[in-house]
Amino acid sequence: MDHRTQARIRKVVLYAALTAAAVVVLFPFFWMVVTAFKEPGKEFTPDVIPNPPTLENFRRVLTDYGFGGYFVNSVIVATVAATFATLFAALAGYVFAKKRFFMKEKLFAFLLGSLMIPGLMYVVPQFAVVHRLGWMNTYQAMIVPHLANVFGLFLMRQYMTTIPSELLEAARMDGAGEWQQFRKVMVPLSVPILATLFLLTFQFHWNNFLWQLIVVNVERLYTVPVGLALFKSAHEELYTLKMAGSCISVIPIAALFFFAQRYFIEGMTMGALKG
Amino acid sequence: MTTQARDNLTAYAFLAPFLVIFAVFLAYPVFYSIFLAVHEPPADSFDVFSNLRFVGLANFARLLQDTRFWWSVLMTLYYAALIVPSGIAASLALALLLNNRLRAVKAYRSAFFMPYVLDMLVVGIVWTLIYSPHVGIVVRILKAAGVTAFAERGFLGTPGTAMPAVVLANVLKGAGFGMILYLSAIQNIPASLYEAAAIDGASGWQRFRRITLPLLRPITLFMVVVGTISALNAFVDVYAMTSGGPNVDVGGRALGVTWVTGYYVFDTFYTQWRLGYAAAMSYVLLALAIVISLANRRFLRSEA
Repeated sequence: MDHRTQARIRKVVLYAALTAAAVVVLFPFFWMVVTAFKEPGKEFTPDVIPNPPTLENFRRVLTDYGFGGYFVNSVIVATVAATFATLFAALAGYVFAKKRFFMKEKLFAFLLGSLMIPGLMYVVPQFAVVHRLGWMNTYQAMIVPHLANVFGLFLMRQYMTTIPSELLEAARMDGAGEWQQFRKVMVPLSVPILATLFLLTFQFHWNNFLWQLIVVNVERLYTVPVGLALFKSAHEELYTLKMAGSCISVIPIAALFFFAQRYFIEGMTMGALKG
Repeated sequence: MTTQARDNLTAYAFLAPFLVIFAVFLAYPVFYSIFLAVHEPPADSFDVFSNLRFVGLANFARLLQDTRFWWSVLMTLYYAALIVPSGIAASLALALLLNNRLRAVKAYRSAFFMPYVLDMLVVGIVWTLIYSPHVGIVVRILKAAGVTAFAERGFLGTPGTAMPAVVLANVLKGAGFGMILYLSAIQNIPASLYEAAAIDGASGWQRFRRITLPLLRPITLFMVVVGTISALNAFVDVYAMTSGGPNVDVGGRALGVTWVTGYYVFDTFYTQWRLGYAAAMSYVLLALAIVISLANRRFLRSEA
């Protein structure tokens, strides 16, 4: 067998293996979509193409089961939370990258140290704090407790450190105040990292199911995952509807990932690769 | 005002929003949960915060004797023992597949990574459909092939397969993350090392075993640490797929084979409203996390 043929066989085998892996990894999502388009009660059919395909499941979860409203809530929570989490991390990351101040190193180490604490630790006492504040069943209960994103602060600092301080210096010479140096110099130069953090925090809040379940118990404020979890417990056998609800939950993030995958992949792995 | 004082003021003004939220919702709760752990709400009160009763270390003492708790620690370790190695193996396998000069490599990379950004709750719910004994595709295929062992209860309802089934769903969703880490580490290995080994007559397997694997060690250790800590937090996948079940009989007690500590904390807190007990439990989790981090740091240092 000559080298050409060998290389070709190798290529075919590799493509076959990659494709098989992709089929396995993506199968749940494929099956979710397929089932969501099947007629209610026909989820047991092994058909890969629903016959006949129907939008009935989507119509029913969106109108009869309130997922339209849940979707709006999820958009509100994720957008507002991502905006402020990104802003706060940018402000804090900026001073850690470019300023000298009292207790800087100690404070940074302390903040990063909190990443070591398992997330489950926070759930009970955070709930207690929110309860004490009288925030139960409000949007701010879902949003505010997660606005200090330490990982985001770390990303911001890493990125902003690489922006030359001379640019800030030059702006100061031109009479720019502290806020303007941040707003007119730092922010425009940090757009990629701001976009990354916005997407990551949007995704985090969109999927922040446990917390949203705990602090909200009125249907008016349910987000998609909370609505989906409660729907799942109440209607164990309505698989086609559950899958339609699942699609509604997953599709916005999948779409964001499709258009901005570079930001997602780099942002999510940056901490691990540099740290 | 001195320049230094003004600099400090400016810096802390920029930091203020972040630090205020951090203090109120991250730092304070860690200490507040110590307070909660030594208190119990009155049994008959609906308002869980009025009349909290000081109970000292009673919660911890009870925890020591709580079979369901120690069982949950055991199941958490079982969960970790399954998910950490299989997650590493899946990530590494995908990375090795992608480490080839092929045209469509980027598309495959995206396909493998995408599930990582999607919601675990949804992924779990979809798998309950796939695993279902009545309408699930896997059980139907097995039935057609003559295997009827799962026709009654499905994979999630059968004690022997429930935990592996939960872990499989989670691994397939999460492997894309480790894959990226391994891939970038593999691509940082100098080609000259492989060339030298090839000249010395090393086979492909030997090159993988003697060059690739040892150089990927830091990533593997990172995956072990992060994987174990996140296994201690395991909750959403169990909630979505098994709710801690199915039960098996252990010395006369019905205990769930997926009853991990994260689920027990949730159940204690959200179903029974025993905040103090749940807080005490989460402290034991924290202790476990610290022990694991320290053990790994030690291990890392002795390796280096």
